[in-house]
Amino acid sequence: MLCPDSLRVQAYFDGEADAITAADIERHLEHCDECRTLHRSLEQLRTALRRDLPHTQIPAALRARVMRSLDVESLLGTAQHRARPTWRTRPFWMGATSGGLGMAAVAATLAFLVLSPRLTTPVVDELLNAHVNSLLSTHLIDVVSTDQHTVKPWFAGHTDVSPLVADFEPQGYRLVGGRVDYLEHQRAAVVVYRHGAHVVNVFSWAATRRSLPARLTRNGYHLAFWKADDLQYCAVSDAGWEELFGLVQLLQDLGGRAAR
Amino acid sequence: MDDRRRRFEAQVLPHLDAAYRFARWLARSPDDADDIVQEAILRAFRGFDALRTSEVKAWLLTIVRNCHSTALKQQQRRAQVPLPEEHDTQDGHALISTTPDPETASIRRDAEHTLARLIGGLPDDYREVLVLREIEDMRYREIAEVTNLPIGTVMSRLARARSALKEHWVLQASGESHAVP
Repeated sequence: MLCPDSLRVQAYFDGEADAITAADIERHLEHCDECRTLHRSLEQLRTALRRDLPHTQIPAALRARVMRSLDVESLLGTAQHRARPTWRTRPFWMGATSGGLGMAAVAATLAFLVLSPRLTTPVVDELLNAHVNSLLSTHLIDVVSTDQHTVKPWFAGHTDVSPLVADFEPQGYRLVGGRVDYLEHQRAAVVVYRHGAHVVNVFSWAATRRSLPARLTRNGYHLAFWKADDLQYCAVSDAGWEELFGLVQLLQDLGGRAAR
Repeated sequence: MDDRRRRFEAQVLPHLDAAYRFARWLARSPDDADDIVQEAILRAFRGFDALRTSEVKAWLLTIVRNCHSTALKQQQRRAQVPLPEEHDTQDGHALISTTPDPETASIRRDAEHTLARLIGGLPDDYREVLVLREIEDMRYREIAEVTNLPIGTVMSRLARARSALKEHWVLQASGESHAVP
């Protein structure tokens, strides 16, 4: 390819030359043997490539995997979006303690803490923090799977408990994976479900003697507690009570069936 | 499904096959290609709001290429062994290795077609411009965008890639005809 016009011939062949240049190159091709040969060779190569190369498509399994990861990603994005206003409320009252109204705010907070000890159970804070953190960080899921037979054995190696795991997709609660979180100095198992745009974290850890309320709401999040066998369960979500209890009911029914 | 996700699926997912093909030509193994595609689609989804161009395919393939580079750097850092391609450049004539290392380009492994095997044997720099032009049918401007090269470099690499491919294709064809008694 010694002719200085060879790159122009290639551009002409690739349809990149404008009309004037194209006419110019066509004239050049008439009297340059080398470029005519080049042009013919480019045509032959393209014909062969179009004829011989397989038009590969993405395998169905990979497409499904990509779509699943998009599901998790859009769920995380939605969750982040939802969780942010909760954090914004914190500096508000923390900042108030430094102002003139500070003492009143502290007093009110103290009164609140003393008068409602049930809400200050440390594990509730831990649960809420774990839930909100799971939505804010990328640590929503350690094991991504919609298959209970993948998630349950995974817990065996990573947590201190073996909770009920099932996919309730037909009922609208899709199993998306599992995670390990620290709760009450244990490695608690967290089963992550998706219900519409909501994330539901179902925590489970070895039950203690302390009694927990059946339900409570904190910072807009609903927490539902129940015990099954010797495990304490808590489902946390920003979904409505009815929606949250739908999943709790399914899990309790499953536990009941398993016990019989 | 929210509106953003719907727009993403409508605009970007039609190019999923192209992203996969390009990843297969770039990657060192089919598994690597799978990971690259998944990572690229996730990155594309995260950066979708910043997408200002109508050339979605070029944008997506740019991300695929970046994911491949990142993966490659990580592998190199882990392995600390020279890559097979680096030996090719020692010999000026070795634009195409006629007995391609099966590890270097995944598509060679299952390519039954001579041309695919020969393209797999091209050095990375030449292979990608050739694939983008001849298989993905992209304009020079788009290829320049994906590969982050000046258009002049795209043109000269494309010319060298084609000439090398043609040369070895002819050699291969004549070799085969001699082999037949």
